[in-house]
Amino acid sequence: MRLQLSDEDAAFQQQMRDFFTTEIPADLRERWASGGEVSADDIRESQRLLNAAGLAVPHWPVEWGGKDWTQLQRHLYLQEMQAASVPPPLAFNASMVGPVIATFGSQEQKERFLPATANLDIWWCQGFSEPNAGSDLASLRTEAVLDGDEWVVNGQKTWTTLGQHADWIFALVRTEPDAPKKQMGISFLLIDMKTPGITVRPIQLIDGGHEVNEVFFDNVRVPADQLVGERGKGWTIAKFLLGNERVGVAPVGTIKRALASAKGYAAAARSGEGTLLQEPLVAARFAELETQLAALELTVLRVAANSRGEKPDPASSILKLRGSQLQQDVFEFTIDIAGPASLEWQQPDDTDLQSWAAVATPTYLNFRKASIYGGSNEVQRSIIASGILGLKG
Amino acid sequence: MDFTFDDEQKALQDAVRELAARNAPAEAHGDVPVGPAAHDPKAWSAIAEMGLLALPFGEDVGGAGASTVEVAIAATELGRARVATAYAEALTAAGLIAFGGSDEQRAKLLPDLLDGTSLVVPAFAEPGRAWSLEAYDVTASGAGAGSPRSIRGSEAEEKLRGVQGDVTLTGTKEPVPYADAADKLVVTARVGDRTGLFLVDGATVSGMRVRLDNTPAVALGSVDDAARAIRAGVNLGILAVTAEALGAMDAALPMTVEYLKTRKQFGVPLAAFQTLTQRAADMYVSLELARSTVLYEGMALAADPYDATATSRAKVVIGQSGRHVGQEAIQLHGGIGMTAEYAVGHHTARLTAIEHTFGDTRWHLARLAGALDDHEQVDLLT
Ligand SMILES: Cc1cc2nc3c(=O)[nH]c(=O)nc-3n(C[C@H](O)[C@H](O)[C@H](O)COP(=O)(O)OP(=O)(O)OC[C@H]3O[C@@H](n4cnc5c(N)ncnc54)[C@H](O)[C@@H]3O)c2cc1C
Repeated sequence: MRLQLSDEDAAFQQQMRDFFTTEIPADLRERWASGGEVSADDIRESQRLLNAAGLAVPHWPVEWGGKDWTQLQRHLYLQEMQAASVPPPLAFNASMVGPVIATFGSQEQKERFLPATANLDIWWCQGFSEPNAGSDLASLRTEAVLDGDEWVVNGQKTWTTLGQHADWIFALVRTEPDAPKKQMGISFLLIDMKTPGITVRPIQLIDGGHEVNEVFFDNVRVPADQLVGERGKGWTIAKFLLGNERVGVAPVGTIKRALASAKGYAAAARSGEGTLLQEPLVAARFAELETQLAALELTVLRVAANSRGEKPDPASSILKLRGSQLQQDVFEFTIDIAGPASLEWQQPDDTDLQSWAAVATPTYLNFRKASIYGGSNEVQRSIIASGILGLKG
Repeated sequence: MDFTFDDEQKALQDAVRELAARNAPAEAHGDVPVGPAAHDPKAWSAIAEMGLLALPFGEDVGGAGASTVEVAIAATELGRARVATAYAEALTAAGLIAFGGSDEQRAKLLPDLLDGTSLVVPAFAEPGRAWSLEAYDVTASGAGAGSPRSIRGSEAEEKLRGVQGDVTLTGTKEPVPYADAADKLVVTARVGDRTGLFLVDGATVSGMRVRLDNTPAVALGSVDDAARAIRAGVNLGILAVTAEALGAMDAALPMTVEYLKTRKQFGVPLAAFQTLTQRAADMYVSLELARSTVLYEGMALAADPYDATATSRAKVVIGQSGRHVGQEAIQLHGGIGMTAEYAVGHHTARLTAIEHTFGDTRWHLARLAGALDDHEQVDLLT
């Protein structure tokens, strides 16, 4: 055991900090930090700057732009990126489809897709969920039927995040309707969003924003060589992908920033003759959240330092569960600090309100999603119960 | 203590439920408005016509001579159907006038407010400030020799008492819900080191922001009485919003229960997963504790409109249960609960707004904490 980072890791951390705070433009980072609607251009610009410096996809195989970092280094990289409010590489590209293609794809697919995916020349979206296949993903029904050297896809995906910006979608489709188990008939297909027969319909969420969509497939013809891995083995790929999705999911750096900002807001908000931060109940809540956040960060570090090899640690479910809860707690506390100001939902031209206060409530409501997507918190608890504690059912 | 509704109260509940159902906003497809809802004039007229604004006020000023229990019954039904009007705000403003105004002002002003001819809302919040019943940055001045000057202490009161039209207010109030729909505002403003109540109808309003710049105002009663009047007026507003929140929870829980019964995953209804049904049971516990507390609040205010303890306890219980029920309602629905097309998220948004209206959970806990010395143990029956 050792309390401090090794000299080598400390130097690595400093190097990351320097890069993120000097090489990524401040205005871009400020826009990201202030929340609100996601700007596709900002995400693209950020990822391209990172990629040019070899920092967009460090966990990929070295051959495709990865770095042979330790898990701890990868954690430090994420942490510093979040602390500097750098828009992170698009998760669909960097954490999901990229590693899948690198692991399961043909040489041709790797050459065709990986460089463009790392540089966000292709914007990917995730077509897994369907109206009747949410937590029970394996019951998905979107079908793909082989016709000559093309798959003909019919069905509907939903909750497709940022699908409105996407160039391509990676989808789970049913290719073997007669397979003995529903998990066995699924394949992993790459589909160009410009293919005729695809319709994207926006879904408005309760914060008023538009980040998810429904995607309809009506006789969409997809070249057969866009199937990744073996036909009917899509479920294995999906499990690999979802496991990766959970690694690095506790956005400790982001939560830290949000909590630090909240502290600043409370110190500036006047209450009685003093400030809100001087109110005992407010101060106590900050102390509590900082302590819980420290426990989470220490657990992240412990898990990161321990995990070896490619297999995601089942403890990553702890991080997803607790990370989403703490993130929600901080946004919840932020509306409390905004107090009456949280009743306004936007920053009108004519206002004395500060912009953070005007987005406090929509942000709080929007982040209710964090405990639903990427494997809901109930699903995480089941994974902990069965995978770690050996409790079935 | 008896929590059963009598026949008249049941009839009121039925009538308001019916009115609310007729005026409930629909979740439509596509561009659904989310967030703070605009004042709905149609629902407002219906509410006024049914006499709901007049419920807790005396017949001498145009009131219905009912009680705060009836307010709780009515507001619960409005909340259940998500009817968006300034009901709580109008009751608060009327309460401020009823408890703070002179006899003459009451007689002159209240009838129009209580029959809905005029919409008056309170303006408390100041930008960059936590919730407070006190005013800080909005100040009252008496007109001096040509130029306005700040007035202090008892000299101030001399000036303000009865010198109607000779007072001006300066500063910003924000956010003031429904300010853009109101004819007049009841504004808290600083008078020396105290807070007074003023009636204003010439403010510059933009959205929820109210700008006062030497704006003429009428003092409501005297600064001596303002603190007590504010407490009673705000109590009435808190009763209305806590009851509205009760209605919102009362709607969100059955929707969630129904969803657990019908939504299938893994080949079974979600209700087959005990972890979810147990959480629905916890939501029910929260809801019923909230119901008892709000009904008690209604009865307590009928007996003593200044009762800050019953009111703050209700606000705390509603704040915490509203958060619990609202968050769980979304979570147990999964993705669908996050959408603007589905009512559960709207209820949760409203519960969130209510928690931050008329003081949040922390403010009310702090007020209760400050009064711990007043009693040895909790005693509800004496
Ligand atoms: C904002 C947002 C963005 C998303 N982005 C994407 C995306 O880009 N691509 C994509 O494919 N999907 C996406 N999703 C979908 C997401 O993965 C699903 O919402 C999630 O899997 C839950 O499925 P569901 O919504 O159908 O809820 P359901 O599965 O119907 O679940 C409803 C409730 O029941 C619980 N539950 C379900 N089964 C069990 C069980 N066995 N035991 C205990 N509890 C259970 C759930 O935890 C939840 O609380 C997104 C969702 C949201 C809200």
